[in-house]
Amino acid sequence: MAKREAPEINAGSMADIAFLLLIFFLVTTTMDKDTAYARKIPKKVEVIDPEPVQKKNIYKISINNKQNIQARDSIIKPEDIEQLNSRIKHYYLINREKLEDRNVDYPYYSMVTKAFIDQRIAEAYNKQENYEKLLETDSKYEKFIEQMDNEIAEWNRKKRILDLYTKASGKKEMPEIAFQAHVRLESFIDTDYSAYVAVQSEVEKAVTEMRDEEAQELFGITYTSMRQYYQTNLLEKTPKVQEYKDKMDLIELLFPLRIIEVKPKR
Amino acid sequence: MSKFKKNDGKKAPGINTSSLPDIVFMLLFFFMVATTTKEIDPMVKVRPATGIGMTDLTPFKQRSEVDFVYLGQPLKGDVDKFEKGIAVQYDGILHKDGIRHIGKWKQDKFATKPAEYTAPREETMTCFKADEQVPMGILFEAREILGDASFYTIGYAASEKPNNKGYNIRTQ
Repeated sequence: MAKREAPEINAGSMADIAFLLLIFFLVTTTMDKDTAYARKIPKKVEVIDPEPVQKKNIYKISINNKQNIQARDSIIKPEDIEQLNSRIKHYYLINREKLEDRNVDYPYYSMVTKAFIDQRIAEAYNKQENYEKLLETDSKYEKFIEQMDNEIAEWNRKKRILDLYTKASGKKEMPEIAFQAHVRLESFIDTDYSAYVAVQSEVEKAVTEMRDEEAQELFGITYTSMRQYYQTNLLEKTPKVQEYKDKMDLIELLFPLRIIEVKPKR
Repeated sequence: MSKFKKNDGKKAPGINTSSLPDIVFMLLFFFMVATTTKEIDPMVKVRPATGIGMTDLTPFKQRSEVDFVYLGQPLKGDVDKFEKGIAVQYDGILHKDGIRHIGKWKQDKFATKPAEYTAPREETMTCFKADEQVPMGILFEAREILGDASFYTIGYAASEKPNNKGYNIRTQ
């Protein structure tokens, strides 16, 4: 018996089907990316007797309802907003790695060493022991013990970061900006969103540029590309993701982006 | 006696279209990869603010960790009906309470998402897509409400600033 060939399927309408799908996707999707400045709302913490913030540690930028910007003592017109970039860099960098002969109007740096951290950890352990003794008399000390635990964990984290810094740069001392140093953003109730975002943009840009430069020097890769990789692959727990996270932690410690957004009063 | 033969009677050979589906599929796949799905049709007018160095929200969207709030003048209807002429759009509705509804809305959104898909409460982002002329007072009100409900992460949406242009700030 002769073999019967299977009849060929007519693929002529395949193109039509594909076009249909294509047009469907064209209509239901958009090209534009969603981008935003991610910020944190500060948690409410009750502190009794907070330490006053020194004036040199504040970089105050205020934007009024006419979109004029005041950065510390200078007035910047909206069209000159790009000046903010160099001003913020100046604020971060002027006292960097200087221990004497510092400019008194800008945040100081301290040089973190291993001995210093070890000393702090030892102190924290001592304090904790004391609290544990006091716990027998009063249960309110439980909170303090927990606080000390956090502090020890924080110092240990810093120790690991310092190790990474020493490994990358060969230096035994790590410059760290005063922990109070921050950019303070004030606006009016009727300040435009675009002006506010523009200032955020300039601050972010200045800090990112400094971070990129530092990361390039230390690791040969920019902070931006590490962050990009980290955010896309966050859920996979590969060694590379962890490595980037550690490196980013170091860079973020060297150039912290602390923006305090103040609720407008008028 | 022309040199050119008239090939009368013979038809022009048909173009082979068997690779057409391949080409179209290629286009299709390109668009599937390069685009993202539209969320919802906007009911308010949003002219985006511009900036540099924003975080790309695509990974957040893929993990469904971000909710969008739209603020701006309503496209349809009476501007005067809304406080300061700014309507706030949550998903498909312009809520009459404006920004004060945000706490409840965010809470509902968070509660309806399956737990294994979302980030912890303080890390789910609320992204404000505001028109460039929206006054900041509204956003700070929203910040306060979200902060009280311990949704601590927010985003200020902006689009990439063209290199040769300045920020579009309204000057007076």
